[in-house]
Amino acid sequence: MRRSPVVAAALLAPLALTLASCSSGSSSAGTAGGGTSVIVAASGDTNVQELWQQTLIPDFEKAHPGTKVTLTFDLHGNNDQQNFARLAAATQQKKDPGVDLVASFTDKAASAGLLAEVGSKVPSLASVDPKVVAAGGAGAIPYRASSVLLAYDSAKVPAPPKTLADLLTWIKAHPGRFTYNSPKSGGSGQAFVVSVLDSHTATADRDQMTTGYHKDLEKDWAPGWAQLASLNADVFQKGVYPNGNNQVLQLLSSGQIDMAPVWSDQFISGQAAGTIPATMKAQQIADPTFTGGAAYVGVTEASKHQDLAFQVADFMLQPDEQAKIAEKIAGYPAISMSRMSSQIQQKFAAAAANTLRPGYNPDHASDINNLWDQNVPGK
Amino acid sequence: MRPTPTQSTLKHRLGGLALASPPLLLVTIFVGFPIVVAVAYSLGHTGGPNATVSLIAKDQVTVDAWWKQSPGAYGVLLRDERFRRDLLVTVLVSLATTAIVLVLAWVIALYVRLTDTWVSRLLSALAVIPMFIPVVIASWVILTFYASDGFVRTVADQLGFTAPVWGYTTTAVVIGLVWTQLPFATLMVVSGVQGVPDALIEAGRDAGGSIPRVVWSVVAPMALVPTVIAGTFTAIGTLGSFTVPYFTGPNAPKMLGVDMNDYFQSYNLPQSSVVMAVVVFVVASGFGAVYVWANYRSSASTGRV
Repeated sequence: MRRSPVVAAALLAPLALTLASCSSGSSSAGTAGGGTSVIVAASGDTNVQELWQQTLIPDFEKAHPGTKVTLTFDLHGNNDQQNFARLAAATQQKKDPGVDLVASFTDKAASAGLLAEVGSKVPSLASVDPKVVAAGGAGAIPYRASSVLLAYDSAKVPAPPKTLADLLTWIKAHPGRFTYNSPKSGGSGQAFVVSVLDSHTATADRDQMTTGYHKDLEKDWAPGWAQLASLNADVFQKGVYPNGNNQVLQLLSSGQIDMAPVWSDQFISGQAAGTIPATMKAQQIADPTFTGGAAYVGVTEASKHQDLAFQVADFMLQPDEQAKIAEKIAGYPAISMSRMSSQIQQKFAAAAANTLRPGYNPDHASDINNLWDQNVPGK
Repeated sequence: MRPTPTQSTLKHRLGGLALASPPLLLVTIFVGFPIVVAVAYSLGHTGGPNATVSLIAKDQVTVDAWWKQSPGAYGVLLRDERFRRDLLVTVLVSLATTAIVLVLAWVIALYVRLTDTWVSRLLSALAVIPMFIPVVIASWVILTFYASDGFVRTVADQLGFTAPVWGYTTTAVVIGLVWTQLPFATLMVVSGVQGVPDALIEAGRDAGGSIPRVVWSVVAPMALVPTVIAGTFTAIGTLGSFTVPYFTGPNAPKMLGVDMNDYFQSYNLPQSSVVMAVVVFVVASGFGAVYVWANYRSSASTGRV
């Protein structure tokens, strides 16, 4: 039995090593910098990752010699909730969160008060639509935008609907040829749901719900839910709403449906890559338009390198970088179109890129996800 | 008969405990503690380790002192018709999957046991293959296979009739879960049935029993324990499954694994999500009790307890 403590120690060693490496990891994150380096936390698909790694970060480091920007990337945002909780905990305990600029879950961080006030530290923000800036919440800086468009197969739909009312009529007249993804699983389906809800909601109430959280106003949505539930029998397979923007694009591309709301950037990139057939077209509808929104970055309140982080945010809003964003991931420029080249102005002409209608406040958005699930499928 | 504990056996036991302590510690810290914290959160305790999650969450039931407990979060959820529907579907899908898996595993096991040919060996090997295919990929394959433009419908159309569309239905969820759970159950049941000695089967046949009769009276009782173990593992695994129902299932009704994720991530209602987890845990411990009983029975029959 003399050997047993040795064996136990050997068994414990990996655990101890793991713990030690964890603690050393966090301490190195705490001491990194000295004012010349920032850590950016972003999430999204590989196109967003490449945008940061191959364009934004090298450009910034070139324009600001001696600085270093480190990217921590969370593919598909699988760990957004955990990273957000970590940021919240670090801010609460006044510890270094290990991230200076967040480019994911920015809306949640803004509404939880975890972002530093922008003030005049990002001069380029002056040329961004103030409504778009306000929709992001406290401390959020929009850096690119996209909107939801109505995509359709032009070979089967020669005269696509131009308004929401026409679209609803079309859906009823062509059973099984339309669907949208469940709002919780992606913004394109959510935009369709929001547009139907908005067509029954008074503008004054909607404006309040864009920037704040007013649970009592959600009763305005009741007729909208009824209308959405009445579509069940006429959407794909009598009420199938796939999970995810991409699943809907796939149904559309494979010809299982003829029409669907899609994200502008996903549609444009998909067509460029050939995964979406050339007969597919996309357009904006009216009364109301589908919502669009910006992607935001925000400097964390707990960051020790706020000045440099604000510089990165400002740099991203320069027309040159905005043009690269438009080219790389088909993102609408966040700054005014008049500052962009005519080529880019043309690219986004059909999408009405400068008249984005913002979505709801994030708390209302999560309520929409929940209420949709309660009121629409299977009803 | 047990020896009375002396100095040396005590030392033995402490040594054994020391050897077992790293995994025990690991389980206590990384599994036991979070369970206690989560149950406390579901009863309204939002302080301490739950402070961060409750800072973000909406619509929480809270208590104002550590000795108080509030069943409020449970009440809200149990009154919700949607939750009751999803709980029922989850349990029914688990039971249906378990039943189908056990039947299939038994058919394969008996075939392998009673006819030792290359076909039977191939079949038992094929049944294990799903274990090596990631569930995400399998779910997609199942979805496209049974989709409205999928293989099944295409073949049926060529033959002149119309097959049903199973993509995005609860049927697809059951098919997918059977697919993922079958390998483990097959391994368990096949090894249990293989363990029945030839002599016993031949004795039964010599006594004039037909093959069904021998299977029922000799093989089945001897392979009961591995069957129960395979069944409980399948039921528990199905109860908490996420990937298959998320990809292949309908929007409503949903299985609770998907619901928990939605409530936590999409609806920002982590407390309800934790309450569901506790409910699933309670149902799973019902299945777990059967497992413990089966283990006890097998230990008792070999004289270990």
